[in-house]
Order: sequence, then structure tokens, then C-alpha cells
Amino acid sequence: MSAPFDHPLPGISPAWQVVAGVALGVAGIACLLPRPRHRFIAVGTFLTFASAVVLGLFVATTFGGPSRESLDDRIYAGLFWLFASVAVSFSVVMVAQRNPARGAMAFAVSVLATCGLFLLLAAPFLMAATVVVYAGATIVTFLFVLMLSQGGGPSDENDRTREPLLGSVGGLGFAGLVLFSLYLGSPARGTADYPQPPEPVTAGEARVLREAGLNLRGENAAQARGELSRLQVVVGSADGPGTVQQRLRGVAGGRAVDLVHRAEVLREQVRQANEALDRAAAGDDARAKLTAAGDSAFVLSGAGELPARNVAGIGYLLYSEHLLAVELAGTLLLVATVGAVAVAGRRRQA
Amino acid sequence: MITPWHFLAVGAVLFGLGLVGFLTRRNLITAFLCAELMLQGVVLNLLAFGKMHGHLGGQVFALFILTVAACEAGLALALFLTLYRKHKTLDATEWQQAREGGLPETRDVDPLPAVAAADYPTLHPAGVRPAEEPLRV
Repeated sequence: MSAPFDHPLPGISPAWQVVAGVALGVAGIACLLPRPRHRFIAVGTFLTFASAVVLGLFVATTFGGPSRESLDDRIYAGLFWLFASVAVSFSVVMVAQRNPARGAMAFAVSVLATCGLFLLLAAPFLMAATVVVYAGATIVTFLFVLMLSQGGGPSDENDRTREPLLGSVGGLGFAGLVLFSLYLGSPARGTADYPQPPEPVTAGEARVLREAGLNLRGENAAQARGELSRLQVVVGSADGPGTVQQRLRGVAGGRAVDLVHRAEVLREQVRQANEALDRAAAGDDARAKLTAAGDSAFVLSGAGELPARNVAGIGYLLYSEHLLAVELAGTLLLVATVGAVAVAGRRRQA
Repeated sequence: MITPWHFLAVGAVLFGLGLVGFLTRRNLITAFLCAELMLQGVVLNLLAFGKMHGHLGGQVFALFILTVAACEAGLALALFLTLYRKHKTLDATEWQQAREGGLPETRDVDPLPAVAAADYPTLHPAGVRPAEEPLRV
């Protein structure tokens, strides 16, 4: 997409594009859902494909941002459309497939395509975890259970669906509503700005913060004082705000507010570290405060970027800010295992 | 250029398709896989916003969602096995006495297509027919 252009067909407002796409999709999927008679596969496939084309054009033209026309952008866009179309089409196959084993395989392919999208969103660890947990474990377990409990041939649960038309209207109507509200809050309607590439901490500030994070370990008081004074330039001291606050104050958005807050926290920690250095020359109290300030500075240096070392970054965040949640998740896994064994463990001896 | 709104749109479509499948399908396992599809759409949303803000919190939350989904899958399969042992079917309609009060009962009107036994393929037996009498050793 070279430039954001409004609509491919002049005069068709985005609301009607969404309505047309959803209507075609409802008709297509209602034709495709399994039933004993009057199941029109060819017509349904054509209608669903038409709906995908209409909604794809709507997304491409309404949300297309300013492009730098570089090869990277084109490759990114090509990969996005490839993964997105594979994910959506195999999801349709899974929803409309009467054979549940084939539906599970279609779901596996859809999960793989969604993992491709995860990779485009700079989440390689989550991609690997999803492939292993979903496509690896969950689907294989489901297939085992299916094979244990499926007879061959047409059966009630595979060949009938409950309220196909109303169900399609409900599900796809919801998706259409979400798409339309995305349009209402998007740059196409002027109610939001294109998200700028995040650069809340400049390169100079990031260098100062990183060096402070590495060097503030409390061994050398003079060096510590030097690092602290350099930090005070960046995040401010009792005399006035630092460069971070001066640049971001008044900038709207949660990201800027969060950064200003973190800079203020670091400012307070720098003040406390200076006080601790004044009170006891080489005591442990000073070391703890200096280390705390150094850690905050290190985290702040990478603010606004997704770290290249994705696993290390997620690990640091999990075990510092979300430690309680990690422990609770482990407990939840244990309880779920115990519950699964208790529910399905033993055959009734009767 | 691909903006976060593109990913949000794909997430919404995946969620909607999962919702369609979950509402309509009667096979318990297919309905559950459609619920997992809804979770995939939600995770896409979280990751898109995480990238937009340059923060790893989206990925951390998605990791917890993955954990909960795994627990949910294990427990759901245990329940499906128990239900199958009772009525020997994976049909959700078998349990419709648990439906909401005041709703009419689901009755299947159209008969299922019958599959004749002759439809199944047969193979000619391979090899030599063994001798009728056992060998005397």
C-alpha cells in the first residue's frame, strides 16, 4: 500500500463495507455448516471467499498507514497477509468441517499461521510456546480423545448444527461490530494518530541509564556519586525535572505517563541513594539503595522498545513484577492436574 | 504499512469465527476447539497492543492466558471422557435437560443419511490360502 487512500470504490462508506462483508460471511458460513440436507458447499465456499475479500479490502484500505516503501515493509506486509489469510481460511474450515479429526488438523494449521503473526509482533518465545502447547499438546490430546470416542459414519454430533443462521449472525455480527469500532477509533477517521515508532528515551539518555545500571553496585563511593549525578541530569533532582520529564511532560498517552512516572520513581531512588551515601560511607544500606537505583535505571534505559533478548526480558518481567501471578499460575496448573485425575481417573467398579 | 489495527482486525475475525463455531456445533470437542480459537484471537490483540506500547506486559499476559488454556483443556477433556462414559456419545444435545428453563427442546427432524455396508471398501485377501490341516510334526 503506497499511501492511505480512502475507499477502493468511491462512495461506499466503511460502515457499508463492513455490513456487506459480514452479510456475505453469514450467508457463506450458514451454507457451509453441516446439516443432513440442504448443505451447499460450493455456494458457501464462494460466499465466504467473497466475504473475506471484501473485509480484507476494508482492512487494507482503511487502516493502511504511511509506508516507507522499503523492502522490509513490503516483506512484512506480504508475510502479514499470508499468515492472516491462512489463519482465517483454516479457521473457517475448522468451523464448517463435519469430520472432527479433520477439523482438529485445520485448527493446528490455523494455530501455526497465528504463530507466524506472533513472530511478526516480535514475540518469538510466545510463538514457540504456542506451537508446543497448542499444536503439540492440546491438539494431540484432543485427537486421542476423539479416536477413543468416535464411531464412523454420520452421527448426530457431527452432521447437525444448532441454529446455524442465528449462530453465524451472532458470531460474525460481533466481529463486524468490532471491525467497525476499530474504524471509528483509527487514524482513518481522524480520532487517533498513527502510533509513532516508540522512542521515549533518546540514545544519549539510554547510554547514561545503561552505564548507571551496570556501574551502580556500591563498591566505589566516588564513582557512585558520579553516576548518580549523571542520572540526575536525565531524571531530575531536587532542583528541577530531568530531560525525560521535560520532553514527555504534556505528551498525551499512557506510554508517556508511564515513563514520566518511572522517571519520577528513579529520581526518588537517586535522592535516597545520595542520602544513604551521605549517612554511612560504605555500609550495606547504601549498597542496597544504589543497586535499586541502578536496576531501575537499567530497566528505564530500554523503555519503549521490545528487548532483543525476548526470553530474558519476559523472564525478568515475570519474576519481578508478576511473581505472585507466576506462583498462582503454578498452583492453578497443579489444581487442574489433580482435578482432571479426580474427574476422569477411575472407572466405576459396578 | 501494517499498523496494529491490522492485527486487531485479524484477532476480531478469529474471535468471531470461534464464536460461530462454539454456538453452533454439537460435538463437544469441536466446540471446545472453537473456544481455543477465540483465545488465539485474544492473544493476537494483546500482542498487538504490547508491540504498540513497546512493553512486554502484553506477552507476559498472553503467557498466562496460555497457561490457563492448558489447564482448561486438561479439565475439559477429563469432563468429556466422563460424559462419554455415561451416554456413549459426544453430542452436547444428549445433555439438554440441563438447558435454560423455558427453552424448547431440540428435536432432530431430518434423518441422517444412511451409509450402506456395501460402501465400505473390501480387499482381496493376499497371499496363499493356508492348508486346512495342521502340519504334523
